[in-house]
Amino acid sequence: MITKRKILPYLLVSPYIVHFILFVAFPVGFSIVLTFHQWNIISPMEYTGLNNYIRLFNDKTFLRSIGNTLIFLVIHIPLQIIFALFLAEILNQKIKLRGAFRGAFFLPVIVSGVVVTILWQQLYGFDTGLLNRLLTGIGLGKIGWLTDPDLAMSSIAIMATWKNVGLYIVLFLVGLQTVPPQYYEAAELEGASHSQKFFKITLPMINPTIFMVVLLSTIGGFSLFIEPYVMTGGGPLNSTISAVLYIYKQGFFYYHMGYAATLGLFFALIILGVVIIQKKFIEKDN
Amino acid sequence: MIFVILFGCVLTGCSDSNINSSDAMLYWCSNNNDEIQFAKIFTEKWNKNNPNKQIKYQPVPEGRSSEEIILAAVVGNTTPDIYSNMWQGDVEAYAQANVLIALDTLIGFMDFLYERCDSAVIEEIKSLDGHIYQIPWKINPIMLIYNVNLISDLELQGPPKTYSEFFSASQKFQKDFDDDGYVDRWFGYSEVEVTWWQRFFDFYPLYLAASGGAPLVKNNKAVFNNEYAIEVFSFLRELYKKNYFSREKLSARQDVFLSGVTATRFVGPWEIAHAEKFKPEGFEYEYSFMPVPDDHTGPVYTYGDPKNIVIFKTCKDPQAAWDYIKTIIDNEGDLKLLELTNQLPRRRNLNSNSFFNDYFTNNPKMKIFADQSDYVKGTDASPVLKEIFDLISQQYEACVVYGKKSPTEAINDAADAVNLLFLE
Repeated sequence: MITKRKILPYLLVSPYIVHFILFVAFPVGFSIVLTFHQWNIISPMEYTGLNNYIRLFNDKTFLRSIGNTLIFLVIHIPLQIIFALFLAEILNQKIKLRGAFRGAFFLPVIVSGVVVTILWQQLYGFDTGLLNRLLTGIGLGKIGWLTDPDLAMSSIAIMATWKNVGLYIVLFLVGLQTVPPQYYEAAELEGASHSQKFFKITLPMINPTIFMVVLLSTIGGFSLFIEPYVMTGGGPLNSTISAVLYIYKQGFFYYHMGYAATLGLFFALIILGVVIIQKKFIEKDN
Repeated sequence: MIFVILFGCVLTGCSDSNINSSDAMLYWCSNNNDEIQFAKIFTEKWNKNNPNKQIKYQPVPEGRSSEEIILAAVVGNTTPDIYSNMWQGDVEAYAQANVLIALDTLIGFMDFLYERCDSAVIEEIKSLDGHIYQIPWKINPIMLIYNVNLISDLELQGPPKTYSEFFSASQKFQKDFDDDGYVDRWFGYSEVEVTWWQRFFDFYPLYLAASGGAPLVKNNKAVFNNEYAIEVFSFLRELYKKNYFSREKLSARQDVFLSGVTATRFVGPWEIAHAEKFKPEGFEYEYSFMPVPDDHTGPVYTYGDPKNIVIFKTCKDPQAAWDYIKTIIDNEGDLKLLELTNQLPRRRNLNSNSFFNDYFTNNPKMKIFADQSDYVKGTDASPVLKEIFDLISQQYEACVVYGKKSPTEAINDAADAVNLLFLE
């Protein structure tokens, strides 16, 4: 006989199960089915076998978009860690207006990504942008922040770092505050310099935080979309087209739903692979 | 995709609640005030005369773009009976999806069409299956707008008409006011974005002008790999190379044309209302035809940005819907369209039809568009038109804006990519 006690746990988890089936399991399953089809939403789906996968491996723009995303990560992650850690170190000291500074650095995190992007677009303007005004004011040449294909992705990475640094400052502050002060006191008694204390005590002690920051930045970086979508549209010369932006374009500009699903699946596998590798490193380190 | 499906569901709710009578046909017009007013006038008139075949007008629901709304409506099977703002380039995909009524099967449609349009227009709107799914309604031809005072300051007789004249005027106009080594004003401006539809305002009208209205694709094959496309790419490439056109996105700042930062632009008649509202004192502007190669002969074509009327298959009485549409595109309807919206009806001899004389006398700036209206092209019938323009746009950026490829190489690469698209 089914008792109330037996049914209750299922009832309690059922909202999540329903949500999971509707918004996770079904879309993922449907996406996998789509990868074997051609579908533009308005016409019936057409089975195309492995055509989408063959097209993917011959699609130079998609490979370029993955390369661009990796370039973004290579610039963004070290920049993010260095700046966040540097600022967290300062904000961990007993300085005046510490609370206000902490709040100020966190502010960009809560501002809409589109707003930040439009703001930086004005800063980066070639002829009218503030940055180039400053450069020409001190006698230097103008820089094509967003119009030079070799520079555009770096400019986006700098902007993304500015936007997110507040979040990682908070994480590093938490990490720094978990380091027992006795370690520093002992080191001072031994005559350790400030840099020795930082490299020998602080860094090893906040290693888990650094790995977490790397992990979060990597996942965040892989989903790079708003910045190139608003600032450059993926240009110039596809130098800022990220993988997610390319998938979006295939899906919602051209309604190549089958192909977009294939790209999405492949890209998800890449992210999974990177996360597994990072996890292995973390476990090894621990 | 979830968004599209959810939006379709929302539309289901919206459309049902907005119809007063379940028998009334639903007409979606554009959501700008002038066209809503236009729809209101003609719907009320129709309803008064046809109490048994009522029409309910409604502006197309708000969204990021009307194209997206229509797509969502098709997915949700909530399409209106009549839609009057369908971009010609979208029709083929919807026709192939079997959601549009073949209008040539309706009584009286072809007779009306032959009376309204030239055979070239009828051929242009014909679908790949030989049927006609759209009624040519309105156009906004892309032409060269120019600042009269700045052009006369250059001691030119008038706006540049050929590529050589354009280069010469550009060179005279270009200026570095503060001697910092950077150009402060450019002769023209076109968005450098790679977005496919941006090419409607540079490459495509120039290609039509140079080629006398040649198609981009025909019988599922690229046919734009010709001397005209190469000439256009070369022309535009030179403009960017010499910095006569800015590579920077100037649209983010104050209107560059009205503020005199540029002397020209390639735009449609919609700029008139904008200019009249925001132009500084003493500012004078006129329109001219698109520049053409020096050896060009014959009329100068351009892109007309046609928006047409369609009847969806969800319509229960297509013949009645067509009878209604006839009333908004007859002489009176077209005159009202001009008067209320400053958009041109797509009909033959607009500039010589005495019925419209008074309008053009009172609106002299629109007259040149009427002259141009006999020489406009829409888009080729293809379900993958956006991809075609995107592929051209990719090569445009590489060749024209950044000079990474020669015009011949870029056009051939674009044509190869388009042909590959047709093979998929």
